[in-house]
Amino acid sequence: MLVANELARAQEHLNRAIGRARAGEDRELAQKVREKGETLAHLLGGLLKMSRVHAADNRAFDVPLGQLASALEELVRLLGPVHLVAVEDQVYVNDVRVRSESRAGESDLGVELGKHNVGGLSFHAPLAAPTLRALVAAFAEKPAGVAPRQSLQKKLAEGGVRSVELAPRFRFRTEEREELLNRDPVDAIRRAVMLVAESFDNLGAGRTLSALPLRHAVVEMLEIGPWAPELWETVGEGMPHAAHAAAVALISLLVGRAVGLRASVLQDLGLAALCHDLGYAGLPREMSSGPEGLARHPAEGAHLMLRQHGYNEAKLRRLRAVLDHHRDHVEPRSRPSILGQILRLADDYTTLCRVHAGRISPADALGAMAQAAGRLYHPILCQVMVNVLGRYPPGTLLELEDGRYARSVSPARAKESFAAPLARLCDPSGRALSAERIDLAVSGAVRRALPG
Amino acid sequence: MNAERGPRSPAAQAAAALLLALSRAARSFILYEPGNAIVRQFLEDYQAKARGAVDEHGELNIEVRPFEMLVQGEVVYRDQDREKSLAFKLFRDGVRRLSLLRLVTFEELLKLLEILAVRYAGVRQQEEDTLTLLRKAEFGGITIVGVEGFAPAEESPEPALDAPVENVERARHLQPPAGFDTPLPKLSSPGPLHYREVAQELLLPIRAEAGGGTMAELAVSLVRDLIQEGARAGWPTNDPELLGFLAEVRDGLLAERDLASLRRLIDLLGEVGGAEMRQETLRSLGDAHTLDLILESVREDAARLPPDLVPLLPLVGIDAALERLGANPSEARRRLLTQVVLARLPREADVVLTRLPAFDPRIARDLGRGIVGRAPERAVEVARQFLAQSDEELRLEGLAALESAPGEIPLRPVRELLGDASESVRVRAAEVLGCRGDESVIDALKAALQGGRAIPPREAEAIGQALARAAPIAASRVFADWIAPRARFLRGLSAEQRACQWAAVAGMGLLPGSPEQVLGALAERSEGELRRHCLATLARWRKGTDAGRE
Repeated sequence: MLVANELARAQEHLNRAIGRARAGEDRELAQKVREKGETLAHLLGGLLKMSRVHAADNRAFDVPLGQLASALEELVRLLGPVHLVAVEDQVYVNDVRVRSESRAGESDLGVELGKHNVGGLSFHAPLAAPTLRALVAAFAEKPAGVAPRQSLQKKLAEGGVRSVELAPRFRFRTEEREELLNRDPVDAIRRAVMLVAESFDNLGAGRTLSALPLRHAVVEMLEIGPWAPELWETVGEGMPHAAHAAAVALISLLVGRAVGLRASVLQDLGLAALCHDLGYAGLPREMSSGPEGLARHPAEGAHLMLRQHGYNEAKLRRLRAVLDHHRDHVEPRSRPSILGQILRLADDYTTLCRVHAGRISPADALGAMAQAAGRLYHPILCQVMVNVLGRYPPGTLLELEDGRYARSVSPARAKESFAAPLARLCDPSGRALSAERIDLAVSGAVRRALPG
Repeated sequence: MNAERGPRSPAAQAAAALLLALSRAARSFILYEPGNAIVRQFLEDYQAKARGAVDEHGELNIEVRPFEMLVQGEVVYRDQDREKSLAFKLFRDGVRRLSLLRLVTFEELLKLLEILAVRYAGVRQQEEDTLTLLRKAEFGGITIVGVEGFAPAEESPEPALDAPVENVERARHLQPPAGFDTPLPKLSSPGPLHYREVAQELLLPIRAEAGGGTMAELAVSLVRDLIQEGARAGWPTNDPELLGFLAEVRDGLLAERDLASLRRLIDLLGEVGGAEMRQETLRSLGDAHTLDLILESVREDAARLPPDLVPLLPLVGIDAALERLGANPSEARRRLLTQVVLARLPREADVVLTRLPAFDPRIARDLGRGIVGRAPERAVEVARQFLAQSDEELRLEGLAALESAPGEIPLRPVRELLGDASESVRVRAAEVLGCRGDESVIDALKAALQGGRAIPPREAEAIGQALARAAPIAASRVFADWIAPRARFLRGLSAEQRACQWAAVAGMGLLPGSPEQVLGALAERSEGELRRHCLATLARWRKGTDAGRE
C-alpha cells in the first residue's frame, strides 16, 4: 500500500501532466481538421446516399454540394491535399480520425465508396460545386463488373473531375506479429517520400506541418526495419528532395537503433530527418541556393515548424535537431544535440552521394566522412554509421571477383557481413539490375567498389 | 457501469474492480479539483485494485471492444455512455488489447492513468494521439495491441483496364534549388572502412544525452537559439510563430510549476533579445491563462505573491487581472490581484484609469492610490474619476489625490464640492482649496457660508482656514466684517452670521500678525461655544501649532 505522501506526489504529478498536455493542445490544426473533416465525410456520405434516389442534377443537391465545396476548400487550405479514408466504421482525414458516431452520413460513406471498390479519396485541389456534382453522379452509376475502381477513376476524368484520386479499400492494421510481417516496404517508403513532398509544398504555401502522418511513416519504417533492402531500392524514387529526406531518415534510424536510442527518441529522430530540409520551402528563391541557403534553411525550417502548435517533447526534439543539423561537432557556440549530429552525418552522406553520383562511390563518400570524424562529425556516431552502412553501402556499384558486376542494395546486416551486402547483378554501367538479389555473405566476393 | 451480471471467475472479478477504479480515477480529474482528497482516494483505490489483481491472478489480458471490455471471455466492464466509457475511449483511440503483467510498477500504472486522464480531459493533441503516447511510454509491465492506422485491404489488385486511366492532376510540387544542402564541407580523400565495435560505455552517454534533459531545458535553449537566429535572419520582433512558441513554452513551464525555468526564460528574453524585445514579448504574452496558472499556484488565502513569483508579474495580462478583480474575488484574492495590477503601473495606468469607475469602491480606491503613488503626474486624472463618483470615500480619495498632485490642479470641481451632500467632503474640499487655491476661490468659499443653509462648526472652521491660507490679505478684510457682525434688531445674529463669525475666528488664527487683540475682545464679550472657540484658537496660535503658521 502506498503511503500518503507517495499518493500526494502521484496526484501532483498527474495534475502537472494534464496541465502540460493542455499547454500542448493543438487546437489550431487538429480541432479544425476534425470539425471540417467530419463535415466533409458527413456531407459526402449523405450525397452519395441521396444519389441512389435522386438524379444528381436534382435541386435538392444544391445546398449540400455548396457546403461540401466550402468544407473541402477550407481543408485544402489547411492541409494541402486532403486524403479521406473510410475504414470499417471509421473515417480519417490525413490520418486524423474524424468520425462522429452520432452522425449518419459518415457510416454510409464506407458502404457507398465500397460499392466501387473504393476505400478513400484524395482531393488534390478544391472542387467547385458543379465538379462535386459530377463526382456524385459518377458514384451513382452502377459499378463496373471488372476493375470498378479504375473504371470509376476513368469516368471521373471524363467528367472533368481530374484532381480526385481513388484509393483501394483499407482495413485496420494492428501490431500483431503477422501484421508486421505483412507490411509492404515499397508502399511504406513511397508513402514517406510522398508525405515529405506534400509537407514541403504545404509549408511553402503557408500551411502548418501535419506531423501525425509523418510519424506514422516513421513508425512503419521502424517496424519494417530500416535495413530492409526494399526500402533502399525504392528510396530514390520521387521528388529528389523528398527522396533525400527519406534516405536521411533511413540512415538516421539505422544509426539511432545501433546506438540504442529509446523507441520514442528514435521516432522523433526519424520525424526530424523527414523534416530536416523543409526550411528551403520558406526561403525566397534568391536566398535559397548556395552558402546562404545552406546557412539559412535550418533556422527557417524550425521557424516554419513553429506553425504547428503544441508543447510536447517530440516537437522540441525535432526543432532542436533541425536547428542543429548543419552544425559541426566542434562548434564554437555549443555542441549540437545528438539527434542533430546524427542528422548531420546522414545528411552529408546522402548529399555527397547525390552531388557526386557517378564520380565517387557511396563507399568513398563514407570513407571521406570517416576521415573527418572528430572534427566535423561526432567520432563515435560516425563509426556507428560506418558499422551500419557497411563497407559497401546501399547503391554502391561492385565489381565481383568472378568478373560480374552488382549493385549493393542493403546496409550491413551484421559484423560478419560488414563487407558482404545483399546485391543485385547488373551490367558494368550499373543499370539493368537482376530480378533476384544475391547475398554476398553466402556466395561471391567483392573485388572493388566502383564510382557510379 | 459494469456488466449487469457480474463476472464469475475471480480473475475477471478482480479485473472488473480494477477497470472501474481506473475509469473513476481517470475521470476524477475533470470532476474535481486536482488537489481534492477524493482524487487521492480514487488513486489509492486504483493502485490497490491493480496491484491486487495482478498479484493474485497474474497477467491480465483485457480485450477492448467499443463499449465493453472482456477478460477470459467474460465482460468485465460495460458502459454505453460515450462521454464516460473507458472502453469506448480506448477503442476509439485504436487500443484493442491491454495487458497488465505481474511486473507492472506503480509508475507505469500512473503513466497509463495519466494518458487516459489527458484523454478524458478532452485535450486534443494532433501529433501525440493516445496510441502514440502509450507506445512512447515504453511500458515494461503493460503491453498494448492497437490499430496501427490502416492498410490497403485488397487481396489482389484490380486488373489493368484496356485503356489506361489518365493521371490525376496534382498541384505542382515545390522544390528546393538543385544544389540544396551544398556547398559540402571540404573532406579529405576517403580512408578505408572498417567495422569497429563501439563499446557500450561509449554509447551510454550518447543515449543519455539524446533522451535525457528536461523539456524545460530543451525549450529554453530553443528559445535562445530561435531568437538569435531570428535576429540574424531578420524575423520581425513580433513574429507570430516565435511569439506563439514562447507562449507555449510559458504555458508548459507554468503547468509544470517550473518557475525557475520561467524566470530563466524571462531573463533570456532580455539577454538575447534586449530590453525592448523583452518588454514587447512579455506584453504580448500576458494573457488570462498565465494569470490563472499563477493564481492556481498560490494558496487561496495568500494575500501576497510569493517572492519567487514576483518576477513573473510582467507576464500577467493587465486586462485579465482587472477582469478578475471586477468579478468580486475573495478578500485575499482581491489583495493579490491588486498587487498584480499595481506591479504593472505606471506603464499600464491608462488601462486601469479607463476601468476605474467600474470597480467596487474599495478596489478602485486601492488602484487609484497605486496610480497616484507610482505615477503622481496622473493624480489629477485619478481625482477627476473619483470626484464624479457617488461613493463618499471615493470623492474623499479624489480630493486627497488632488491635494498631493504636482503642478497646477483644476479648482472648479473642488469648488463644486463645497456644496456636496456630505459634510466630510465639503470640509475636505475647503481644505484642498485652502492648500492649493488662490484668490479665485474666495467667492466660492464665501458663497458656501452664505448659501442660507445651516453650516456645522467644523465646516465653517475649515472654510475660514481655507480663506486664510488661500488669500490671507483678502481674507483679513472679509474676517473683519464677519468677526463683529451687526446683530438684527431684537433677534440677534442669524445662523449665517454665526457661521461666518465662527469661520473668521478660525481663519484669523492663521493670518499673519497677532490675532490676540481681536479674538481676546471677542472672547470677552461672548459666552458659551464662541468664547471657547476664540480661546482655543488663541491657544493654538500661541503654541504655534496651527498648521498654517508652521
